[in-house]
Amino acid sequence: MPRANSKMRRLLAVGAASALMIGLAACSAGGGGSDSDTVVWSTWGTPEELTRFEEFNDEFMKRHPDITVELQPVASYSDYHSKLLAQLTSNTAPDVFYVGDDMLGQFVDSGRLMPLTELMESDASQTKPDDFFPGLFGAAESEGEVYAAPNDSNPDVFFYDKQALAAAGITEDPATLAESGEWTTDKFLEMNDKLAAAGLTGSMFWNYWATHYSWISSQGGTAYDDSGEFVGNSDATTVDAVDTLGSYFQDGTFVVADVLPEGAGADSLFVTHQAGFFSQGRYTIGTLESAGVQDDYDIVRWPTPDGAEAPTGVAASYLAIDANTDASDAAFTFWTEFLSAEGQTFRLEGAGNAVPSIQGADEVVLDAGYPAHAQTFLDMRDIGFANYPSEARVPGLSGDISELFLGLYQGKSDAQGTLDAVADLIAENTGE
Amino acid sequence: MTATTVDAGAAAAASPSAGRAPGGLRKESAWRRRDRSWGYIFIAPQVVGMAVFVLVPFIASMVLAFAEWNGLTELTWVGFENFTAQLQDELLLRSIVNTLLIAIITVPIGLGLAVVIAVALEKLKTRTLYLILFFAPVVTSTIAVAMIWQQMFRVDGVLSDTIAKIFGIAPPDWLGDPRLALLAVCIVTIWSALGLNVIIFLAGLQNISPSVIEAARIDGAGPLRLFWSIRMPLLSPIIFFSSIVAFISSLQTFDTVFILTADAGPDNATRTIVYHIYDLGFGRFEFGPASAASVILLLLTLVITGIQFGAQKRFVHYEDDAA
Repeated sequence: MPRANSKMRRLLAVGAASALMIGLAACSAGGGGSDSDTVVWSTWGTPEELTRFEEFNDEFMKRHPDITVELQPVASYSDYHSKLLAQLTSNTAPDVFYVGDDMLGQFVDSGRLMPLTELMESDASQTKPDDFFPGLFGAAESEGEVYAAPNDSNPDVFFYDKQALAAAGITEDPATLAESGEWTTDKFLEMNDKLAAAGLTGSMFWNYWATHYSWISSQGGTAYDDSGEFVGNSDATTVDAVDTLGSYFQDGTFVVADVLPEGAGADSLFVTHQAGFFSQGRYTIGTLESAGVQDDYDIVRWPTPDGAEAPTGVAASYLAIDANTDASDAAFTFWTEFLSAEGQTFRLEGAGNAVPSIQGADEVVLDAGYPAHAQTFLDMRDIGFANYPSEARVPGLSGDISELFLGLYQGKSDAQGTLDAVADLIAENTGE
Repeated sequence: MTATTVDAGAAAAASPSAGRAPGGLRKESAWRRRDRSWGYIFIAPQVVGMAVFVLVPFIASMVLAFAEWNGLTELTWVGFENFTAQLQDELLLRSIVNTLLIAIITVPIGLGLAVVIAVALEKLKTRTLYLILFFAPVVTSTIAVAMIWQQMFRVDGVLSDTIAKIFGIAPPDWLGDPRLALLAVCIVTIWSALGLNVIIFLAGLQNISPSVIEAARIDGAGPLRLFWSIRMPLLSPIIFFSSIVAFISSLQTFDTVFILTADAGPDNATRTIVYHIYDLGFGRFEFGPASAASVILLLLTLVITGIQFGAQKRFVHYEDDAA
């Protein structure tokens, strides 16, 4: 009996120890490839996007049989950067990885991203720095060095519902007005007033940096000066523009899409013809097509006081290479092909939901012939700007600033008070 | 181990001369030493797990609370700066208020409901079926629970729809209205924990000696008197234990808030202390302030538990006390 017990206990002990070791091994799993021919890369994305990325991997490995590529996906954007941070801290980061525009600055400042300017200018590169639209680099560029490049871009345009405009008695077409240089702020606000009078929502916006800074920029204001200092609170044009923006939110003509309830969200309102304008990126096409209402919609740029076009915000994510990768050559080959005009065309064709960030791939936006003024996506990207580097360097700062703007939209503060609070918050977070 | 080996061991240990070295030091038998080593091996996974996943993070957060570190740069000592900054941070104060509100609402209501249900089920023959139903949420993933409730709390969800039809009002926006979002979290929290408390209280009620109940009945105690003067006092140690566990659990509310009300609800209406810690640490990479906030949570938990232990002298009745 004791012998049998002893055997059993030994077996249990070995089992427990093995389970523990497997558990600990599982905890430390992941990270970049340990040889120079394996590239591990990570991103977030929808199942459709991840499937497309796997297809890109397959095509890449056919072109480069000596390189193995492995995708390490993370389903949620909110979890992605904390995982990446943990991997970088423990030196188990993927060789190549996506970084969001709100997190990029900190990663660049950490010195954990490979400097890319020299490689981008080398013969092995399919992506020269000048091939990208300069306004899109944002915080990816620091002191003349490039540390990441935009995967693609999404300028926020105004999608508008022709049926809703007609229901409000609006006979003019915004895109036609824009073509003739008559798409003015007064015209835009007049249309919104008519939509509101007809019991419809005027315009819907997501509460994030591209909304408030696009409005300020399009109205001739200045949020940050050339040195990167926030000056919006001392610029009279900016204060006036923000005052107008706030008053339209406060009277309900404009709506913050983030706070709409589940089940009656912005997409639902828009596809059921209950709102006139919706500031979003190219991904909106998918929503309209799913609802089968795409024929009723077109796009237009942001209105300006004089009707001329003005730079507005462009959302982007970036691709970087781990400075400590064991596979620097293979990683750069993957990086440059992923971002090249061919790479972006491959990723964005068909049900593509973004706009190329590089020259030479624009046909992917224009070929489908939808929306009627698809060229607007490209025009806005060409002159647009990424999130301001001063803001993108501090994780969470853009979100905190958006909270202050939400207070304005909800009538809890006025324009000057909001902009002063934004200036104080930036100074507090950047030590300026 | 068999009864025989236990007896043999006990006999050996009881013998005055057994296992003693000439110098008077106790000498363990070979089998006892072997047993001891196996004991260590068996508890090793738990000890290693505790060390890796509890002790090391605990020490690390204690150290990081006095430092500035974002995970990528060099660690810089800042003394008590993180604590002073956190104590002046409106978001932390808001988080503490929200967390205490959740605890104050969910603990008494949750435990009160559990007592009522346990009493109702005590004499029921089909109580096992009810217990399974009440216990199901306890063994269901919090994530799944929160996602199901998220659908029910939608403006066009079954709950809002029913309320709108009964009261003839606009469907409430549970998760979008700052005044309702915290209430929604409380409802889910109470519902999730109800089953466990019912089972604990039911066991407590069944553990009350029938002779005590019988004696009270003979003395003329009616059902209400029996409940308030006999059952509740005898159940009070278990209620006290459950209240401590529930309070501590409420102070650690995170996953329900994280899933049910993304980004801590509208206007931070459901931001709790643990969500605040998560947001600082993994949303903003400010590990120093996040660690300081977690130390503040630890102190808050200790103070509240201390108050509860102080209060038990007045409200908790142990059978031994009566003796």
